[in-house]
Amino acid sequence: MTRTRLAAAAAVTVLLAAAPRAEAADQDFAQIERGRYIAVTADCVACHSAPGGKPYAGGSALQTPFGTLVAPNITPDRETGIGSWTEEDLRRTLQDGVGRGGKRLYPAMPYPAYTKMTDDDIHALWAYLQTLAPVRNQVDVNQLPFPFNVRLVMAGWNLLNFEPGRFKPDPQKSPEWNRGAYLVEALGHCGTCHTPKTMLGADDTGKALQGANLQAWYAPSITADSRKGIGGWTAEQLTAYLKTGANHQSLASGPMAEEIQNSSSRMTDADLSAIAAYLLDGKGSASGQGGGGPAPLAADDARMTAGSAIYTDSCMACHGGDGKGQTFLFPTLAGSGVVQADDPATLIRLVLDGSRAVATDTRPTGPAMPPLGWRLDDAQVAAVVTYIRNSWRNAAAPVGVDDVAKVRRTLAEAQ
Amino acid sequence: MSKTSAADRLDVLGTSRRRFLASTAMGLVVLATSGVKARVLFGTGLPWDSGATDPPRQVLPGPWQFFTPREGEVVEAIVERLIPADELSVSGKDAGCAVFIDRQLAGHYGTSDRLYMKGPFQPGLPTQGDQTDLTPAKKYRLGLKALDAHCRTAMDGKGFTDLSPEQKDSLLAAMEKDEVAFDGPVGSGSFFSLVLQNTMEGFFADPIYGGNRDMVSWKMIGFPGTRYDYRDFVLKHNQKYPLPPVSIGGRSDWARKG
Repeated sequence: MTRTRLAAAAAVTVLLAAAPRAEAADQDFAQIERGRYIAVTADCVACHSAPGGKPYAGGSALQTPFGTLVAPNITPDRETGIGSWTEEDLRRTLQDGVGRGGKRLYPAMPYPAYTKMTDDDIHALWAYLQTLAPVRNQVDVNQLPFPFNVRLVMAGWNLLNFEPGRFKPDPQKSPEWNRGAYLVEALGHCGTCHTPKTMLGADDTGKALQGANLQAWYAPSITADSRKGIGGWTAEQLTAYLKTGANHQSLASGPMAEEIQNSSSRMTDADLSAIAAYLLDGKGSASGQGGGGPAPLAADDARMTAGSAIYTDSCMACHGGDGKGQTFLFPTLAGSGVVQADDPATLIRLVLDGSRAVATDTRPTGPAMPPLGWRLDDAQVAAVVTYIRNSWRNAAAPVGVDDVAKVRRTLAEAQ
Repeated sequence: MSKTSAADRLDVLGTSRRRFLASTAMGLVVLATSGVKARVLFGTGLPWDSGATDPPRQVLPGPWQFFTPREGEVVEAIVERLIPADELSVSGKDAGCAVFIDRQLAGHYGTSDRLYMKGPFQPGLPTQGDQTDLTPAKKYRLGLKALDAHCRTAMDGKGFTDLSPEQKDSLLAAMEKDEVAFDGPVGSGSFFSLVLQNTMEGFFADPIYGGNRDMVSWKMIGFPGTRYDYRDFVLKHNQKYPLPPVSIGGRSDWARKG
């Protein structure tokens, strides 16, 4: 045998041996890729990574009303990550809120949402997490004060507040609607921010997605209500917001900017349409129309005249005399749900501290609003915010000086 | 006319084809490398950080920060004559011009901290501006001293502040023409033009710097202040612009009335 023939024969043997393996690898790849997409959709990276740190290697401190928690390292490092876990450990973590060794989780980890995840999705997610490079990073997860630092407390909490169980599709609705419901309620865990919490920090399920305050941001209502919620948006406008961070009216900033950057801008168009189909179902109701909603304050109210002067001098240059702003650059204030929310925290903090909108591939500018807290005192911020909430057919309760002082304090503490 | 090939033309330049190709390849390599080094500026959006502001400080009337009490009186007396109170506006003194000048002299304008001040110092042409080693703070100190000294000898022992308005005006007019002999390195003409320049700056600058109290000069000339977007008005031809002036620090209408 010549050397060439020998080599050829060997190559054939290798090819023959590789064929079934390649098929298995393809399946693995599809599974891992699906798991990666689930991790993106569930935005695991948001909490399980620290700024400047390695993805999934553990988060930065999360301030809860009960104390500080840090999301653990979920890379497959044996000592500091989940390298010694089994798939069953992950399944119980997500679906039951009980980690490896029976350790009870705190609902800062949104297992009350993930409990609805299908076993298939968890299987794929597990396959993906296995492929991450192990990162050695010890995280001091539980920094809560007594008695909350005793994990057994969560057993009682779960009994009262946690309803385990998989997502149940509604046979009356379309597959698209059901996919949207699964994405919103399970993977996307939108309610973690957008659903008001009870005294015990659990989702107030009677008020699902009606808006909630966290970390000095008010996550506005994302119900189909057309005044406080997003019922005034079309499906295309909602998907544009989730995909690009900007639409005809709004620009995402704060925690939603992070969500869009890490998660929804990387979702498929079909999934975003499904979310829109679910969230905008029942569109057309407006809490402020046909009576029941507040009437706008009179234009000659002292708060309105002062607010009007401040708006003219400090806001109008960008947001316009008509509150319409400039599409994709300056948000429209007229008709905005954030502006008219029951809780004005987001509006107040935007005036005090400014903010920066998310930059995405489609809308790479990421415009920023400068802080005005140095220029306006609490009474002036209260006046201008009251004016914005009651102009251009907006209507919402006036904002008190105390409300502004509270947000200013929270911002100062966060520095 | 004979045809010359590209190779011939290269030879004329003293370059062989091989050398030409090699240098072109080198050029491409250099281009490609510099392309790799280019930084991608994407993903962060426009600059912004929570809590990161460097707000201007409102200058408030109060004790002099640079002037001695006597110097402060003299400067107030000068700015009151440069911008007298009349039917158009309050006086330069009441508009805060002396406060403005004092705070500027106490800051980096007075010390020339942001200018090259290490010499050599040589007399320059008028078009080259100030070529001396004197900072504005030193010029005021020396100029005010020379002015008061001049008054004591030439005006029957009176200080500048003791002169009648007419006497002050004629003395200032003579200084403007550099006709008053000042002791020391600061001439009366250059001192006058410095004070006049700073008085105008104080009168027309944003009130946040201590002058232009209540935007008096802006109201007088119809300047809109720190506004920067006029889209709502740009197409309204032949109509009066309706908005009052506004300062960096705001305006009185911002306060809730009632």
